[in-house]
Amino acid sequence: MKNALYLAWRSLAWHRGRSVTILLSLAITIWLPITVRMVLDQFRREISERANATPLVLGARGSRIDLVLHALYFDSLPPAETTMAEMEPVNELSAASAPAVAIPLHVRYRTQSRPGIEGFVIVGTSPEYLEFRNLHIASGRMAGLLGECVVGANVAQRMQLRPGDSLLSAPRNAFNLASDYPLKMSVVGILSAAHSPDDDAVFTDIRTTWVIDGIGHGHQNLNPQTDSELLLKSDAESGSVTANAAVLPYTEITPANIDSFHFHGEPSTFPLTAIIVVPETDKARAQIMGRYLSSNATTQCLKPPEVIDELLSIVFRIEQLAWICSVAAGLVTSLLLGLVVNLSMRLRATEMQTMFRLGCSRLTIAMLHGAEILLLLLGATTLASAAALFTLHFAARVLRSMLF
Amino acid sequence: MILIQHLTFSYGDGTFRLRIPELTFESGRSTVIVGPSGSGKTTLLNLIAGILPGAGGEVNVGEFKVHGLDENARRLFRLRNVGQVFQDFQLIDYLNVLDNVLLPCRIHPSVSVTKQLRERGRSLLQSVEMSAFEHRSVTQLSQGERQRVAICRALLLSPRIVLADEPTGNLDPVNAERIVELLLSETERSGATLIMVTHDHSLLKYFDRVIPFEQFLERRGVDKASGGAS
Repeated sequence: MKNALYLAWRSLAWHRGRSVTILLSLAITIWLPITVRMVLDQFRREISERANATPLVLGARGSRIDLVLHALYFDSLPPAETTMAEMEPVNELSAASAPAVAIPLHVRYRTQSRPGIEGFVIVGTSPEYLEFRNLHIASGRMAGLLGECVVGANVAQRMQLRPGDSLLSAPRNAFNLASDYPLKMSVVGILSAAHSPDDDAVFTDIRTTWVIDGIGHGHQNLNPQTDSELLLKSDAESGSVTANAAVLPYTEITPANIDSFHFHGEPSTFPLTAIIVVPETDKARAQIMGRYLSSNATTQCLKPPEVIDELLSIVFRIEQLAWICSVAAGLVTSLLLGLVVNLSMRLRATEMQTMFRLGCSRLTIAMLHGAEILLLLLGATTLASAAALFTLHFAARVLRSMLF
Repeated sequence: MILIQHLTFSYGDGTFRLRIPELTFESGRSTVIVGPSGSGKTTLLNLIAGILPGAGGEVNVGEFKVHGLDENARRLFRLRNVGQVFQDFQLIDYLNVLDNVLLPCRIHPSVSVTKQLRERGRSLLQSVEMSAFEHRSVTQLSQGERQRVAICRALLLSPRIVLADEPTGNLDPVNAERIVELLLSETERSGATLIMVTHDHSLLKYFDRVIPFEQFLERRGVDKASGGAS
């Protein structure tokens, strides 16, 4: 067999154009179903793990899948926003008989992109989120003050960030001068890698995202003695002043101006994009679910595993389709390979005749052909496996972005 | 000694019929067979080598009764006892010069490519002044160089018989003489019996014995056989 393999190897190396073509055809045929299976398995495992680790998600009524994917992956926007008021029922139930933690999420903004680096999502939340997702600080400290943030491991790596650096939020509409201004946030901590979407996020206090939203802002103190060019109206009797557009809000929260930051409006109306609810008991879970069962409620309470199962059933259909395509491609490749081998045997009839005349057995000649096919299959399998692993490394994220 | 007795052979359409009442080849001697195309020279070599099964009569090569061997035994007999040089060289393009010489080892069921056999291959190449081309592709060689490689391949396993089927057919007269001298010297050195087929009468003088071959051929029922050759 050693000699047959040697001769087969020499033959393949000599006919390298033909060999490479067959090798690549076989590799792609093997790679496709393996990769589809591996990528979907990984995707299924990863998405199920995160869904199973998230007990309940509250948010505005609308697409169930969009809301759950938003709460889990921050990728898609929920159908509509909800408000801080929706935290109250959970807190009330928790105080009464259903112990649970409500974690607000406000995810509408991204950081400014840099050449070659897309902006990362800014997640406004409470400190409980990091505890709930078991996220730890690798360097620096937790964000405590308005305008501070901690960044996921991938964000830090890609943007070369260290504690003490700063990040700018991206304006949602660069052409609308009346829109929100970019906020310069200071990075105070870097999170350890969690190998989850949290690695690609910037976490800040939820109030900071409201500042980006324009609900809260800071500017210099105004009083009747302020430069009149900054005032639209001044009532000397009441002491009230109205600023004009010349007063610009601060775009960075510093120890010097932090006290000037304030929020306008009723806190219960401040926007949230979703709320993660972590009931401590099954009873608490049932009570919270029951609270949102009413069909005319404007808020829905979802169990992520159930919603993700719905999504996976769609993925399973895609997998079946991919399998059918793979089988068809495999069949075509096998037929073409058969044709190539057949034609190759005809072309090499003189060579085989020489071998036979020298005393080579028909079995050995068959072994030579077999060894060539074996080497091609081994090469194709190795190539396909390497390509599958390489694809797997990148595909989960790509697939997620394609699906969501 | 090779002893052929009452050998008959015909191809399917019946237009060609070889009949050899008796023919002998002495061990260690060189014989050249001449005759027109289609007179059965190559067929005789194929019958001696066991490539073709005899239809009747006997082909005895030393202790081997080739006519009575089955295909597998004839193949082993050929591999172990016969070295063949073909008119069109029949080298394997994808192997380099040394690997072509070593080819009989690679297809041999019980011989592997040892260091000694490699050295033997190299020594044969040296004897035909081809050692500098050891790693070159055979497609880059001239006709004469290719034939020299083919001769080294035929001699690698020190066969008892060397069958050369028009080995000079594609060569100019100078190269043809060089190839014949090489075949004769190499077979003489190893003590092998050389049987060569040729059309070229200028080469007959180099051989111990000359056999005109058309005497053994019957065409369309016309019997031209006149008994044993000497």
